[in-house]
Amino acid sequence: MNLRTLVARAGGVALFCLTVIVTACSQQPEDAIVVGLSADITTFEPGMISSRDNANIARHIFAGLFSLTSEGDHVPDLAHTLEISDDGTAYVYTLREGLTCHDGESLTAEDVAYTFNRIADPENRFTGNSPGFVFTSIGFQDAVALDDLRVQINLARKNPIAFGLITEIYIHCKDAYEAMTLDEAASNPIGSGSYRLASWTRGSEVVLEKTREPGNFQRIVWRIIPEASTRTAELISGNADIITNVVPEQVEAINGSGRAEVQVVSGTRRMYLGFSLSEGSRQMPGGEAIQDPRVRRALQYAVDVPTICRQLLSVECERATGLVNPPNDHPDLEPYPYDPSTAELLLDEAGWSRGSDGIRFAIRLQAGRARYVNDVNIVLAISQYLQDVGLDVEVDLMEWASVYTPLLHARSMGPLFFLGTGGGLWSPIYDMTDMAEVGSSTNYTHWDDDRWFSRWVDLAEASTPEETRSIIDEMLQVFYDDGPWLHLYFQPDFYGVSTRIDWTARRDERVFLFEAGLK
Amino acid sequence: MNDQLAQGIVTKDHRETEFRRELRRAVRVMIEARWPVLALVILLATAVAAAFGPALAPFDPNRQNLVLRLADPLSSGPDGSVFWLGSDVLGRDVLTRLLYGARISLLVGIAAIVVGGTIGIVAGLLSGYFGGWVDDVIMRLGDIQLAFPFILLAIMFLVVLGSGIWNLILVLGVGQWVTYARIVRADTLSLREKEFVEAARALGDSTTSIIFRTILPNILAPLTVIASFNVASVILSEAALSFLGLGVPPSVPTWGSMLAESRDTLVANKWWLAVFPGVAIVLTVLSFNILGDWLRDFLDPRLRERT
Repeated sequence: MNLRTLVARAGGVALFCLTVIVTACSQQPEDAIVVGLSADITTFEPGMISSRDNANIARHIFAGLFSLTSEGDHVPDLAHTLEISDDGTAYVYTLREGLTCHDGESLTAEDVAYTFNRIADPENRFTGNSPGFVFTSIGFQDAVALDDLRVQINLARKNPIAFGLITEIYIHCKDAYEAMTLDEAASNPIGSGSYRLASWTRGSEVVLEKTREPGNFQRIVWRIIPEASTRTAELISGNADIITNVVPEQVEAINGSGRAEVQVVSGTRRMYLGFSLSEGSRQMPGGEAIQDPRVRRALQYAVDVPTICRQLLSVECERATGLVNPPNDHPDLEPYPYDPSTAELLLDEAGWSRGSDGIRFAIRLQAGRARYVNDVNIVLAISQYLQDVGLDVEVDLMEWASVYTPLLHARSMGPLFFLGTGGGLWSPIYDMTDMAEVGSSTNYTHWDDDRWFSRWVDLAEASTPEETRSIIDEMLQVFYDDGPWLHLYFQPDFYGVSTRIDWTARRDERVFLFEAGLK
Repeated sequence: MNDQLAQGIVTKDHRETEFRRELRRAVRVMIEARWPVLALVILLATAVAAAFGPALAPFDPNRQNLVLRLADPLSSGPDGSVFWLGSDVLGRDVLTRLLYGARISLLVGIAAIVVGGTIGIVAGLLSGYFGGWVDDVIMRLGDIQLAFPFILLAIMFLVVLGSGIWNLILVLGVGQWVTYARIVRADTLSLREKEFVEAARALGDSTTSIIFRTILPNILAPLTVIASFNVASVILSEAALSFLGLGVPPSVPTWGSMLAESRDTLVANKWWLAVFPGVAIVLTVLSFNILGDWLRDFLDPRLRERT
């Protein structure tokens, strides 16, 4: 064997060893699972959590009274039974015995009552999903501990979906939270769920450790990886087991890697372009124009949603007709077709003709970056469609967690904004509850049409399913005709999943890892 | 009177002759060095692209066509139009955006140098000429600024001011002033004691006149060299900030933002989205650096004798 051959062979062996070492290094330990998220999380304060990524992590730390399965069924969790009063305003839950929080404190009905009352306390000024969406929707009054195991939730009025909404409340213990300031509570959650927070490096990762069943992994590592290509690279290299928001262009590369596969599910998130009708927005360019429902309706015809789906999401989709997921949506409404001529005609009729420069009016379109699948390109595509019918669109793309989310919390969006809001399949009313009140924290548009909001009382008092359905359809017709959304699509969700992991993506974006395991 | 006039004409003629001789030498040295010629050609081409981009570009840089997205280079659209360098994720012509991007890169590069150079030169002149507390204040301000990583500082300013081309120029310009101030200060410190400055002072010239008409012309040569290098670094900074989404609005094509947009498609083998803007940045920056190198050598009196 000459020297050259020897060197070549030694080099080959070294390369092989290096490959083995690198491969071994990039394998995750068997008791840990790593999830790559696209958006950063902002808080662990149960009263402030609002984004889906934030909620996904929080749901592993905080349990609910009941929980929602992937099939849309509500099953017992901390509570095992529920009794509802005849008038539908008192919900009595009975807790399981022997429950504890992560600090060892017993979890009793008093803690559950404290959880509800603390989140609703106006002094705390919480603006998360629980107070802003759930409580305003169900007309939460107060919660009272009847004894150690029974807690009563009192509502202002009967609500057909209150039971489902109450499952979204993150239960925590009284003593632990009374001992903490609001700032401390935001970063030191003491929960009631299967996992406790082991560490949180803001903008980087959250590590959870298992404290009780259910859960097959001892550790769950949630890594914040905003850049889509990096998420994909981390998945393929074995540094992540599951990644969210895979860019459609990268599906082929992942599936061809042999180390991971992409699961595409028909999601329930309603993607829309919001028309902000607030006074603040009215003062901005374009704010005045969109106050007119005729302008809003005209713009529905300007955007080619099926083409956006096909080209930028790699799926065929039917355009949404409202805020309710099929098959619970209005059965007789047809999606607005892409018809720029009609859009131009309606804009002319509304008094917004093209000027000598071809512009009807200028308007700002705000959007967050890297929160939804291919969001930046979709926003740019929409802006092009709007420009085609004579709008001068200024696109303002913002960092999601630190810039866009605070605007959402403050409901201070500009005249046009791109957003997706999580939906469900278990009730049409759940999807409609984004607009439960004019002041709901999820009514980012400040829409106040009485033909919609006055019907909630009728809905609560409806005595038959047929009557309920009829009211729902009437409301959805108003939303379709004069609503504050430019209807887009229900977001398809793309998850990259390592071949070592046994996990099935859900349609409702809940990344629950309790049942995930190794293959 | 006539003698003085004749002397003036002779002096003027002498200057013109001197200038022509220097120009000839510059051309000769440049041709001998070869690389600066290539760099100059590239920069001239970039300048032409920047100046006449709209006339040269085959498409509107922001015109999208989703159906023709990610078209390969040299592929044709249904109307026979050719995407010479392919199309991007929104079906926009890459060549067109590259031509428009040249305009932004050069504008930002040169304008930022003008802003930073002007601030730095004035600060350096004042600091070097007056010394004392003026010098202390200006130099300490410079030290404080240099203590921050520039990109971090730029991000901070752009988050506060908002993105946009003029804010970007301002931020990048302000980021450069310390370099100029330090060089100008050092040269001013030595020049202010020279005889010709003493002479100007003795003749009763005002301080402003001494600083800007007597000292400044004598320190412009090294500043030209620094500026040529700085243009390259500013173009890179612009590309980096646009890559991070903090540069100009998305409707304005820049090489940096084009590179950023290519990230998601790289793994899908859409190489042209990254390669062409990347090559444009590399060639322009390299050309400025080569030209700066040559200019430094050309103006160096120690090397002048050899040429």
